[in-house]
Amino acid sequence: MVPPEWYLLLASGVFCIGLFGILTRSDALYFLMSVELMMNAANVNFVAFSLYYGDLTGQVFALFVIALAAAEVAIGIGIILVLYRNFGDIDVTVPTEMRW
Amino acid sequence: MVDAFAYVPAVVLLPFFSFLVALGAGKYLPKGGAFGGIAATAGSFLLSLWIATAVAGGRAYNETLYTWAAGDQFELTFGALIDPLSALMLVIVTLVALLVHVFSLGYMNDEGETGLPRYYAGLGLFTASMLGFVVADNLLMAFMFFELVGLCSYLLIGFHFREPGPPSAAKKAFLVTRFGDYFFLVGVVAVFATFGTAAFAGEGSFPALAEAALAGSGDVWTPGGLELQTWLTVVGLLVLGGVVGKSAQFPLHTWLPDAMEGPTPVSALIHAATMVAAGVYLVARMYGFYALTPTTLAVIAFIGGFTALFAATMGVVKDELKQVLAYSTISQYGYMMLALGAGGYVAAVFHLTTHAFFKALLFLGAGSVIIAMHHNEDMWDMGGLKSRMPVTYYTFLAGSLALAGIFPFAGFWSKDEILYEALVHGLNEPLLLGGYVMGLLAVPVTAFYTFRMVFLTFHGEPRTDLAADPEPVRWNVKGPLTVLGSLAVVTGFINMVPVQKVLGLEGIDYLHRWLDNEWGGIEGLSSHHYADLGPYSSGYIAGGEVPTVLVGAAVSLGLALAGLGLAWRLYNVTSPTEHTAKLGGIKDVLYNNYYLDELQVWIAYRTEDIAGGADTFDQGIIDGVVNGVSSVSLLGGSRVRRIQTGLVTQYAAMLTLGLIALLVLLGVNGGWFL
Amino acid sequence: MSSVAPAWSALSPALLLGLTGLALLLVDTIRPNERSNTSMAVVSALGALASLSVTVWFVIAGTGHADTGGAITLLEGAVKVDTMSLFFTAIFASVTALVVVAAHDYFHDHQRPAAFYSLTLFAATGMALLAVANSLAIVFVALEMVSLPSYALVAFLKKNRGSVEAGLKYFLIGALSSAVFLFGISLVYAATGSLIFGEVAGQIESLDTLSGVAGIGIVMIVGGVAFKTASVPFHFWAPEAYEGAPAPVSAFLSSASKAAGFVVAFRVFTEAFPLGASLAADINWVLAFGVLAAVTMTLGNFAAAVQEEVKRMLAYSSIGHAGYALIGLAALSAGSAGNEAVMGAAMAHLLVYGFMNTGAFLFVAMAERWGIGRTFEDYAGLARRAPVACTAMAVFMFSLAGLPPFAGFFSKYFLFMGAIENGFLWLAGLGAVNSVVSLYYYSRVVRAMFLDDPATPSALDAIDVRPTALYAAVVFAAVATVLLLPGFGPVIEAAEAAAAALF
Repeated sequence: MVPPEWYLLLASGVFCIGLFGILTRSDALYFLMSVELMMNAANVNFVAFSLYYGDLTGQVFALFVIALAAAEVAIGIGIILVLYRNFGDIDVTVPTEMRW
Repeated sequence: MVDAFAYVPAVVLLPFFSFLVALGAGKYLPKGGAFGGIAATAGSFLLSLWIATAVAGGRAYNETLYTWAAGDQFELTFGALIDPLSALMLVIVTLVALLVHVFSLGYMNDEGETGLPRYYAGLGLFTASMLGFVVADNLLMAFMFFELVGLCSYLLIGFHFREPGPPSAAKKAFLVTRFGDYFFLVGVVAVFATFGTAAFAGEGSFPALAEAALAGSGDVWTPGGLELQTWLTVVGLLVLGGVVGKSAQFPLHTWLPDAMEGPTPVSALIHAATMVAAGVYLVARMYGFYALTPTTLAVIAFIGGFTALFAATMGVVKDELKQVLAYSTISQYGYMMLALGAGGYVAAVFHLTTHAFFKALLFLGAGSVIIAMHHNEDMWDMGGLKSRMPVTYYTFLAGSLALAGIFPFAGFWSKDEILYEALVHGLNEPLLLGGYVMGLLAVPVTAFYTFRMVFLTFHGEPRTDLAADPEPVRWNVKGPLTVLGSLAVVTGFINMVPVQKVLGLEGIDYLHRWLDNEWGGIEGLSSHHYADLGPYSSGYIAGGEVPTVLVGAAVSLGLALAGLGLAWRLYNVTSPTEHTAKLGGIKDVLYNNYYLDELQVWIAYRTEDIAGGADTFDQGIIDGVVNGVSSVSLLGGSRVRRIQTGLVTQYAAMLTLGLIALLVLLGVNGGWFL
Repeated sequence: MSSVAPAWSALSPALLLGLTGLALLLVDTIRPNERSNTSMAVVSALGALASLSVTVWFVIAGTGHADTGGAITLLEGAVKVDTMSLFFTAIFASVTALVVVAAHDYFHDHQRPAAFYSLTLFAATGMALLAVANSLAIVFVALEMVSLPSYALVAFLKKNRGSVEAGLKYFLIGALSSAVFLFGISLVYAATGSLIFGEVAGQIESLDTLSGVAGIGIVMIVGGVAFKTASVPFHFWAPEAYEGAPAPVSAFLSSASKAAGFVVAFRVFTEAFPLGASLAADINWVLAFGVLAAVTMTLGNFAAAVQEEVKRMLAYSSIGHAGYALIGLAALSAGSAGNEAVMGAAMAHLLVYGFMNTGAFLFVAMAERWGIGRTFEDYAGLARRAPVACTAMAVFMFSLAGLPPFAGFFSKYFLFMGAIENGFLWLAGLGAVNSVVSLYYYSRVVRAMFLDDPATPSALDAIDVRPTALYAAVVFAAVATVLLLPGFGPVIEAAEAAAAALF
């Protein structure tokens, strides 16, 4: 059996990749994908430690998370759509009318 | 027999009802609701007299009437505390409020002001909140009414809100006093945290607990193991912050001269009996606490003495009637603070009483002059009003003599007692002695500016057409003036301590006996008890008590007369000039020593220089500091808002950085990375 | 009554909100072509009020109270109904009712307002669920249930660039925050092997080498809470979202959504990560909250002081108030008897804040409805045209500033006092300094409305309508703010009792 620390490392790595994507990309779709990565990093933890503890809660919760992530993307796509209509672009750095 | 104390809430509620009536139905009432206010304050006044009689009958009252909110560890309650001090104050406040209401008929209604319901509603609420403050039985309740008083003053000072001046003056009054009040609030919280109660009187009251704790019995909380005496001093100073703001003491006095933008009757109420008096009253109310901390007392005395002198010198160069009175108020409250700091509890209350009457008188007199002059307040446009408005003149003169401290008017007795207390206690205390010297120096200055004002306004020849033909005033102006004028003459006789000491007449120091619970009162709230607590011992000059009394009185009276005389020489002429070069008069040149005239002129110039300097300091430095603090805050704000760049990717970056910072902080704190 | 009714009925406040949301969808489906603004508003207001009355009834009847058998747990301990959950559900339901009533006038000329009502009700359902969550899984699901409709609500004005920009920023920061939050949960799960609060708490003390993992997880959970409560450094969405969103939505988010964040924080950090055990495991989350509280209130108040637009000022002030409420978590010390006082005071502050802040934003909604501008200057002289509404606004402003004798003063007073009692003098002092700053900008609004003259005589001619429902909502909020004066006693007692059950 793979030691649990390795799962932690994998999950953290995926999480950081997602975070890196958010910090460096200004395209809204990349942003969404990066968030997906971060959430799936958490899912790796849930599933792995569910196995480790012999407890099904983590696996069930991972399913919940997948569903919620899908719902989040749906809302996100909707917002990106109206963003495109109003600003003519899906670059998240374009709308800066409100600040300070 | 019906118990007088059952009507204590009614004293507060009557003006409050007049507020509601004026607010709700003032439009439909004759005179904009004025009669409701007059009836309510008259009722409160009668009830106060009754209550005072009950106290004189040997009783007192200290009850919790309503529990507002009770939490686990502290509760907010409303109650009433009636002892000789609050009974006296009730009478003063209701009397002055009543007279101000009557006077307002002449000043506001007859002058055709608009928005009268708003005005009378404000007056009613103002009076009610002050009365609530006076009867408060705990510090928190006092604080709440203290705040209400501030709010009402904001509404009333800004009454003429369509003009540019009043709203900004109102705002300034509000903000400056509020600045002090925040210290007060922290002080209230500290009192709660320390003692678990904020009651003024009784076994478990906070002064009693503090006394017990200092004596070594009883345990109170102090932050961070601070020494008890130090912590009590800190608490005392915090509460003092509110007092300094409300009683317009240096350096938070700047709001008061600006507050002259309010209607004159409101100024009378603010200066004589309500807002400004609230600060001094608060110190007197919790004097059992202050008497325990010598450092606080010394600070109070020094601030008081300094303010007395500082404000008096500024009064010398003002050209507007009400401005002079404003600075005189600051100065007189400085005296009261000096008295409190010097252990002269009775002297302070005495001066509070006499000052309430003569200052209300002076303001109403000034109001009368302002009516006559069609709202021109510049004294250089007046002159010669003496023969044209005799009632105003003679009452105003009585008030001025009292303010200047001329024997035997009210102000003489009280001011003399303050200086006496400061002297005998100050011989061993350098800081207190400094306060005394400044208080003494302020005496001639006070007399000088007071009579400069009187002479410029009433004596000589009219300098404008307006002054030659002033508008007549009616009974509703003359009536209050007459009442207050008589009081300004006689109030001093309630406490003729010098006479008692010199002639050996026992028992004519009625106020001393009143405040010493001789007739009735609450254990632990007597002047005697405070004197036992206080840190001071008495020292005498010139070999004993009686000579000290005589020397002190003679010196202060002499200085007052000197100031009066100087004003007489400089301004009691047909056509006085601002620069006193022409003074002396050609006829008198031979009679008088030429060099004396030179000296007078020189003094006048120098006084103006010093006073002008003080004025510049006031406008430049103090206002500058207030403005500086606010602009630094705003600058900080405009820096902070720049963080919000509008770029969402930068938000994400800063969010991540913040999270990492938190992780590092807790990680290092908890040693996770080891 | 818990002995009579089935246990699930304890959830009826949340169920009522959810059913109302579904009913709204039904109404919209039956009459798809009509602009059924009024009927939607009526149905949603009735639903919210029904939920509120059931909640109040439960509080009075003592459901979940220690006297009537203690907290009611459902779903294998994942849900827990107690006094605190009812207390907060009351806040959510009240704010929801006010907002939907006000929205009726605000969306008077909107093409299809129907979605607004169902989204609001679903978000409120999520909040009610958050209040009863007793498992990190439920917390996350409910949090998303609040967040997802909120994103859509902020971007509700699809043709308004401000609204869309606000929605975008809110969504992006929200997605990032919930990912961080979720990862934090996964780390806690990895360290403790459970998601139920009580079981997590049992494991925290015996973590040993895993305490670092749990610690990082807990800090990430703090981050998720900070996002929901609009606390620094997760606050960046708030000024924009509150400014750009339709004003009723701003009111909803800044009052109800913030309170929802706090209810989670209160429960998670007392029941899942109890202070004593966390400290034993070297996880000093109180310190984290202390830092957050200090920074949040300072940033919020100072930035609010220099705003030109009233709505954005309110947005920053809302951040500042989050800082005050965080004192309820920051001024705790292990085993201290004063903990329940300070946390109870924070809860009471959130309740008072719910009314006064909602009212203030609804006043802004009214100004937007009239079409006068957004800056302080645009509000000049407003009191002459709309004295009642302006008086209500003055009450909100003074109460927000914490001026006695308004309710905001009491809650702040109890909060600072509790902090001092627990030895956190510096936090209370900082709070007092911030209150001074706040007075400056709140009084600017009052001054503009009552003392200043309009820029041009015709500037206020736009005020030609009397939006009845908005007026009613604003006045009701003002009355509630005032009534909380005599009613503050019961409120603080209920809040302290709720907090006492947590420790």
